[in-house]
Formats: sequence, structure tokens, C-alpha cells
Amino acid sequence: MLGWEFPPFKSGGLGVHCYELTRALASRGVEVDFYMPRTEFEIKGTTPRLIQVMPVYFGPYTAREAYGWDFMNRVMQYNLRCAEEVEKNHRERNYDLIHNHDWLTMRAGVLAKQKIKKPHICTVHSTEYDRSSLGPNHQILEIERMGMHAADRVITVSNMMKRQIVEKFGVDCGKIRVVYNGVDPDKFRKKWEVRKYSKEKVVLFLGRMAEQKGPVQFLQAAKKVLSVMNNVRFVMAGGGDMLPYLINYSIELGISDKVTFLGYIPENQLHEAYAKSDVYVLPSISEPFGITALEAMASGTPIILSKTSGVSEITTHCLRVDFWDVNKMAEYIIALLKYRVLNHTMGRYEVEDARKFSWGKTADETLKVYRELV
Amino acid sequence: MRRFSIFEENNGDPYHLYFNQKLNKEVFEKVARKCYLPTNSIMLDLINKYDGKFKISYSITGVFLDQCNEFNPKVLESFEELAKTGCVDFLDETYYHSLCSLFKDKTEFKEQVALHNRAMKSLFKHNPVVFRNTEALFTNEIAKIVEEMGYKGIVTEGWERILGWRSPNYLYRVKGCSSIKAFLRNYRLSDDIAYRFSAHWWSEYPLTADKYAIWLSKCEGPLVNIFMDYETFGEHQWVETGIFEFLKRLPEEILKYENLNFKTPSELVSLEPVGEIDVPTPLSWADMERDASAWLGNEMQRVCFRFLENLEPMVREAKDEKLMRIWRLLQNSDQLYYLCTKSWADGDVHKYFSPFDTPYDGFINFMNVLQDLKNRLKHKLKLHEAGR
Repeated sequence: MLGWEFPPFKSGGLGVHCYELTRALASRGVEVDFYMPRTEFEIKGTTPRLIQVMPVYFGPYTAREAYGWDFMNRVMQYNLRCAEEVEKNHRERNYDLIHNHDWLTMRAGVLAKQKIKKPHICTVHSTEYDRSSLGPNHQILEIERMGMHAADRVITVSNMMKRQIVEKFGVDCGKIRVVYNGVDPDKFRKKWEVRKYSKEKVVLFLGRMAEQKGPVQFLQAAKKVLSVMNNVRFVMAGGGDMLPYLINYSIELGISDKVTFLGYIPENQLHEAYAKSDVYVLPSISEPFGITALEAMASGTPIILSKTSGVSEITTHCLRVDFWDVNKMAEYIIALLKYRVLNHTMGRYEVEDARKFSWGKTADETLKVYRELV
Repeated sequence: MRRFSIFEENNGDPYHLYFNQKLNKEVFEKVARKCYLPTNSIMLDLINKYDGKFKISYSITGVFLDQCNEFNPKVLESFEELAKTGCVDFLDETYYHSLCSLFKDKTEFKEQVALHNRAMKSLFKHNPVVFRNTEALFTNEIAKIVEEMGYKGIVTEGWERILGWRSPNYLYRVKGCSSIKAFLRNYRLSDDIAYRFSAHWWSEYPLTADKYAIWLSKCEGPLVNIFMDYETFGEHQWVETGIFEFLKRLPEEILKYENLNFKTPSELVSLEPVGEIDVPTPLSWADMERDASAWLGNEMQRVCFRFLENLEPMVREAKDEKLMRIWRLLQNSDQLYYLCTKSWADGDVHKYFSPFDTPYDGFINFMNVLQDLKNRLKHKLKLHEAGR
């Protein structure tokens, strides 16, 4: 499996997916070698076996523009080296198939397939259209297009994503399979088991501070809510390019004393954040899946989901809004804060519902796709 | 119900703010075209054709009659036509398809039944002697009240939980009541038409009139209560399924058997009951549980229901007919049905009929409307106070 990030070195859903998937696959008797960039630490004796190819100093979501041409060169170098490593190890390991995630390792997947003549699957967690706010990078789009067309199977994390790659990349829909992300409900503390610090209600946004995640809409909804309710705090967790702008924007809206920016938060605090919030909002303009929503569900925290999110396909224990409908978003937030019975009922059913989306199921579905080819 | 936003200027006629008349009209027109008009016309033909041997009973809410008046009086006329034949029986129920039989205070229940009775008398010149509560909702206590109101019979579900080994094809006494008799719906034979008629997975598919008549003729007991949604004909089972042909053929096939004929509940209520049923907790004909859980199964539903119930003193004190009517329209059990969170097959049925995206969405809208109504009532009461 060719990936980019892997816990504890991760910054988004991609890393979580790879980590949970490979572990669940291992417990089903599938042996996985996980190729990833070299980090400062050597990790040994893990499941799956981690193969660190070469160092690269950026994550999949950080501002690429800052790196300029060197960035793309670096990525391509990594891909070449990665494919070479695969070929080298294949002699001894005898791989059955190659599975890569997203565009960063797309070329490595395609090259490795040519070298070892084994089927290639790529999972598309997001495309350049979902990630870029300044307009897509055409070089990256081309890599994505080439990879998806060359792959024997394409896995998407939602039907929404499937539609997108059929429409925008012209991928044959017959070879696309949808495999949803999962969540491990037992890992998350439940809302009702956690003591809150203050009586203030908390509304949570958690994600990269980038246009596509809808932080602007979140702040606009916050303003609306605060026009009728006072005892509410809006918490925004996550780093990203837009952070300075958003802080300014909250001041402009006159609600800065009610908005807390946490920046990037580590995993243990993440669990706290879900459990201590009264509402979780995923206002994304474009969200191929949205694992955070499943995590909030697992914590029993009611969720408001943008209709343009993959996760909204799979649960009815939520409230759905159009990302631009700030009024409705605010109305839903108010209702969830005002009506305890609504908050509690939804939370309870969410936890139940979240159990249906285990990583084990993700692995089973992925394995089904493997079996089509091996 | 209409989408009600707290960020809008919610002035003006609450009736138009709360209810989506356009959607109501659309749905009514659609079902009138697909079901009410064609089915009524078939029923009338059958009654004429068999010269009094074919009979049918209706349980029609007052809300429905109001909608006929408002949207399509032809539907009402066709029911009046049927009533005139003398082969049609009408049952009484709550005027507003309400669950008010479960209110602690039974005043509202009695008033709604009286309203309905008046409507039956004035429209169909008929004074019902048999009662059927909203969704066949039934308890010993409800039966007792209905008995006190002078009804001789009451219809409910023939569910094993209350019958045990006994057959629904008899009349039963009700525990704690002295004379009222319970008619029990034969849900298997009813659902064979209502649900399974066009089900390809069903081993008996396709259901024909002669096959159905054989089943009926083999039934034990003096009566079989076949009772279903009227929308079965043409709406739940589309015209393409052959449901109308089935209906047209059925009387002929049934009358072939010496032991079969058509009777109305009013005619049968004089039969001797064979035993007693004891129903301490709510029984209904809805969902797999056959209890009140379709409307009161989760905490959100119960909160809304109690909210509605608790508005009663204010509604009565406000003495505003318009607000009273709105409060009663909000009692329609469907409003609570949409908030159901059951996740298996029944949940899908709930979803099919719901105008809301999710039950939570339904709850928010219902609560916003109820809050608004409460504020209007408060305002009204303040005006009264000031006037005094």
C-alpha cells in the first residue's frame, strides 16, 4: 500500500483511513507493506510493516504554493523511488496487488504496476477540485486523471465522489467501487460521560481552515445564533491558510469574544473536544466524506451536515443543510442548543448508528474489491 | 406542515404560516384522481349491480371532509351518493385524526367525537353506532369512554398479543366495560390486499379474486373484518397492479359461496361476543409493534405530544375559534409520525410519507410551530386580561 501519512504523522482523514484500514486488513490475514515518506523517527515492528522511502517535508494538505516547482519535483522523485522500492521488495515479498491513496502516490502506483505486472487499485479520498481554493492545479489534475484511468479499480469514499470522478474525470463507472470510511465508537468518550467546564454551550467546527471546509459559513451562522442567544461559544479547531483571515473576520462580525480558535489539536484533545461540544457542524462546501462527522456521532454529539458531504449519504441521524443556507444552519444550531430532548435523542441514535460504520466493515468492503482482481 | 423559520417575520394568519396548503392541495388532488374518485365510482357500480348484496363501511375523518370541501367537492358528492344507497355504513372517530384519546383529560376526545358525529349526521344522514379510534388505537379505558358515549361497538386490531390463540373472526367483550363489543381487524387477510397484493416476493402472488374468496370461505367464525386504508385502491397499489379489476371481481366471487355475504358493523353488532379481551396498554394497527410507538416511541415525540396536550387549558381560555382549529389540526397523528426514529423496515414507511429530511428536522419544525402557537395564545390571553 502506497500512502503518505500514517499516525502519529498525520494531518487529516487520509492518515486515519490508512492506519485503520491496514490494521483491520491485517486482522483479516492480509499482509500489508505500507510505503510512506521517511520521517525523523524510525519505526519498527509495527503492523503493517512501514517502509519509509525518502524524506519529504510537507503534508498532503499544507500550502503547496509555497513550495513552488520544487514541490512537484520532490513529489515526483518520491513516486519514482517508491516504485523502485516496490520492484525491489517484490522479488522477496511477492506482492499480489498495489493499492495507493490519492494523487500524491498515484504515479508510484501506476509505475509499480508496470514494473511488477500486478493489478493496481487507487483510493480517491479527495480530488484537486475539493482541495484547492484558488483554482485547481492542472498538473495535479492530470496526474489524477491519468492514474484513475490506468488503475484496475478506483475506490471512492462516497457516491458523491464517485459521481464527481465520472463527471469530471470521465472514469468508467463500472470500475469504481464505493467504500465508506469507518469509526471505532469505543475509542470515543460519550458526551454524557464527560463533565463540562462551564455552563456555556459549545458549538464545534473541526477541520482545516480552508475555503472548502466552510469556516466562513460557520462564522456567519454563529453571528445569526448570537443574535438570539448569548450563552454560546463557537470553537474552531484546526490549522490552515485561512486562520488569520478567519480571526479577522470574527472581529469584523463583532463576535470575536464568542469564538475560540484552537489551532491544530492532537488526537487526545480531539476526543475531548467532541465530547464537550453540544453541536458539531460540518459546513463543508465540498467534502468527499467527512470522518469527523462519524467521530462526533461516536461521541454522541449531534451533527449538522452540509448536503455536499459524503457522510450525509449514510446517516439519517443528523440535520442536513445546504452550506450556503446560513439561516437554516443557525436555526438548527439554536434548536439543538435549546431542545435538550432533541440533542439527547439524536446523540443516542447517532452512537447506535455509528456502530454500523466500523473500520472492519471498511476493510471487508476493500477486501471484496481486492478479490475481484486477485 | 410548512417550513417554519424563526428568522422570518412570522406575522399574519398562523394557518398559512404553519400549514402548506399548496402541498396539501397537490396531494389531495393527486390521490382524488388516483384513488377516491375511481374507487368510489366502482363501489357505487358494485352496489347497484348486486342490488343491496354488496356493502361497505367507511371511517372518514372530519379533516378529510374539510379538505374535500376546500379542494374538490366532487369527492364529497361521490361519498354522499354512496351514503344514499343505504348499503354504506359510517363509523365515528376523532374529527382531526388525533391521538387525544391518550390525553389525561378526555374532554377534547369527547368533543372531537361529537364533532365527527355531527358531521356524519349532517352530511350522510347517518348516526354511527360503531366507533373506530384514530389508527385503531385502543385500550380498555378508551373502550369504556366510547361505551359511555353510547356506542355499541368499537374496531381495533386483531393482534395476537391480545388474542393469544383466539380468532379475530368473532366479537369480544372488553375488560372493564359492560356492553361494548370489539370488532377485530383480520390483519392477515386485510394486508394480503393492502400490502402484499402486488408483492412479487409473495408466494401467493398474483392474488386473484377467486383465490381470495376461497380463503374467506374457509375462515372460521361468523365474520371477517377486512379493513384497510382507502388509498390501497389506486394509490398504495397503483392502477397498473390490477387492484381495480380485483375489486370489481371480488363481490361476484364472494357471493358464489353460501357461507359468505357482505355485512356492515352496524348490522353485526348484535352478534353475541364469545370472550373478553384485556388491553391495558395501547394497541393500534401501526408498525410491527402494533402499539403507540409509531407516534410516541421516542422522547422527542413524547415531548411534542405533552406540549400539545398542555396547551389545552390556554386554547380553551383564549376562546379563539381559529386558534382552536389550528391546535386541533396540529393534533393530527401524522405530525408525530414524522418524528419517528425507528430504523428498520417500518422506518422506511415513515420516511416515505414524511415531508421532512430527517425526524430531527421534523421535531424542530413542529416545536417551532408549537412555540409560536403558544406565544399567540399567551398574547390573546393578555388581551383578554386587559379587556377585563
